[in-house]
Amino acid sequence: MPLDRQLLLLATAAFLAAVVPAVRALVSSHWRPNRQWIPMLIGFALQTGAVYLRGEAVGQCPMKSLSDVLVFISWSVVLLYFLVGPAYRVSLLGVFTAPVVTAMHVLAFVLPNAFPDYAQKAKIDPYVELHAALALIAYAAFALGCITGVMYLLQERLLKQHRISGLFYQLPPIQDLAKAIQRLILLGLILLSFSLAISFKLTTPISNPKLIFAWAVWGLYAVIGFVMWRHVLSPRQTAWLAAVGFVIPFISLWLVTTHG
Amino acid sequence: MADPVPAPSQLVCLGLNYRTTPVEVRERVAFPEAQVPEAVQQVRGLPGFEEGVVISTCNRVELYATHALDQHQSAHERLIGYLVERFELAPEQAEALVTYKLDSAEAARHLFRVVSGLDSMVLGETEIFGQVKAAYQTALGAGTTSRTLNKLFQQAFTVGKKVRNETSIQRGSTSVGSVAVDLAEKVHDLNKCRVMLVGAGEMSRTCAQSLLSRGAHSIIVSNRSHDRAVEMAAEMKGRAIRFDEWESALHEVDVIISSTSAPHFIIKPELIRDVMRKRRWEPLLIIDIAVPRDVDPQVNDIEGVYLYDIDALQAIADEGRREREKQLAACEQIIEEQLTKFGFTGR
Repeated sequence: MPLDRQLLLLATAAFLAAVVPAVRALVSSHWRPNRQWIPMLIGFALQTGAVYLRGEAVGQCPMKSLSDVLVFISWSVVLLYFLVGPAYRVSLLGVFTAPVVTAMHVLAFVLPNAFPDYAQKAKIDPYVELHAALALIAYAAFALGCITGVMYLLQERLLKQHRISGLFYQLPPIQDLAKAIQRLILLGLILLSFSLAISFKLTTPISNPKLIFAWAVWGLYAVIGFVMWRHVLSPRQTAWLAAVGFVIPFISLWLVTTHG
Repeated sequence: MADPVPAPSQLVCLGLNYRTTPVEVRERVAFPEAQVPEAVQQVRGLPGFEEGVVISTCNRVELYATHALDQHQSAHERLIGYLVERFELAPEQAEALVTYKLDSAEAARHLFRVVSGLDSMVLGETEIFGQVKAAYQTALGAGTTSRTLNKLFQQAFTVGKKVRNETSIQRGSTSVGSVAVDLAEKVHDLNKCRVMLVGAGEMSRTCAQSLLSRGAHSIIVSNRSHDRAVEMAAEMKGRAIRFDEWESALHEVDVIISSTSAPHFIIKPELIRDVMRKRRWEPLLIIDIAVPRDVDPQVNDIEGVYLYDIDALQAIADEGRREREKQLAACEQIIEEQLTKFGFTGR
């Protein structure tokens, strides 16, 4: 097995190791941040090595197959988790992030024609690279917004039903979660806007389905951003949108890579 | 001729707490904070004594010391004699002084339990850790600790942290006031949290003081008797408003604590829906500690509103106590393991 896949397998194992304390935290409500943080960090280091090797092989940002795209997004999700978690006091995000990232890795491995070997290096167009990388990091922000949305809905339910024990004490204040959702969606929207703006500069043509889906995702999150800004919907409804809305970019990735 | 080998230091603890001694006796023998440095010098200065630490809180007075006397019993008697003399207790008071006399491993076990909050009135409370640490620092500063007590107290702090990190003994709330704080913390950033008291009863004062002590931003008090509202607001460095104004100020606050004696609901869904529109969906915590209730239960169905009545708060506090009691065995096991590790008990 090539080294990049070995690293990815090890990274998957590390993220799985982070899932175990996550599940225990959810069941027993006794969570210790370090037990989450360390395997996540190891997984991220291994993942970074694998993404680098895949990038070297293809001669560009590794996004030529759905498997590579899933790994790149999961890498971005973990990166954002490390950046966003401490900043918004949502460190428990790791408890929810680890299972999602593990699932993305497993899916990347079981897909047909997973991680194809690239016979020759592609010609690099820096604008295409920047466009694609920004779009995928934006998707990662939306993924993290989805995870934070789930956390909000959980905490909201616990508060409404007076179930004040266990997980309740671990989850951040509901107001912090609402703010984190807003900021993650805003971050994703800004990154995706830049990515789409760059697409106007490209000399290498991008297939229509890719652009259509990218604009559709942008439109969806622009609407979510607008209703958040205007307080049209309650934070609970916004959390639902952030959680369920991520289905669209997730499906679009599959469509884009199969039509790419 | 060789010097005689000194007898090894022996550890003793003499104490009284809320279980052994009523408050009227405890307050008689409590050491004011400013007098503790002098007290530790006096304990160490007792004949045959080498080290001393004095812990004096509202719930306990404990003297930890090492001595080179032949028997622990004599050490305990000297410590009791010291308390009697220090606080000028009459013979009948001295006789009524019920203390626990511990030595060696028993004294260490007791200190470990105290630091871990297992001997506290509120099981698992964390304040005692800081109080013992402060007592030790005072003794250290006064130069009345040496090898044995330094080691013992460092070990106690390690055990206290271990117990808290590895069990859920401090998790959950055990009183209505602390439940209110926990809820407020999970809805808002407490430092920015504005609280309104509708009705100025004792229970609402307790809840408000708990919130303030944990950093709540500001308090507004409204009461049928405006004088009473002004008095309570002044006490809590808050603002008083007249009773006919509280409804119009509701949208400004993040937590409402209601405890009026009204015979009917005074906070109804229509009012709160209007408030939530003005608040642009910022979450609102309502604590209804009035009996009969002040807040229509349907208010809890409004998005972003979290309503807790006195029964809900009490149920959470009861559950918190039960959860802590469940952790007791695990805590005791950690303490026993640590006593063995540090050589107080056999392997």
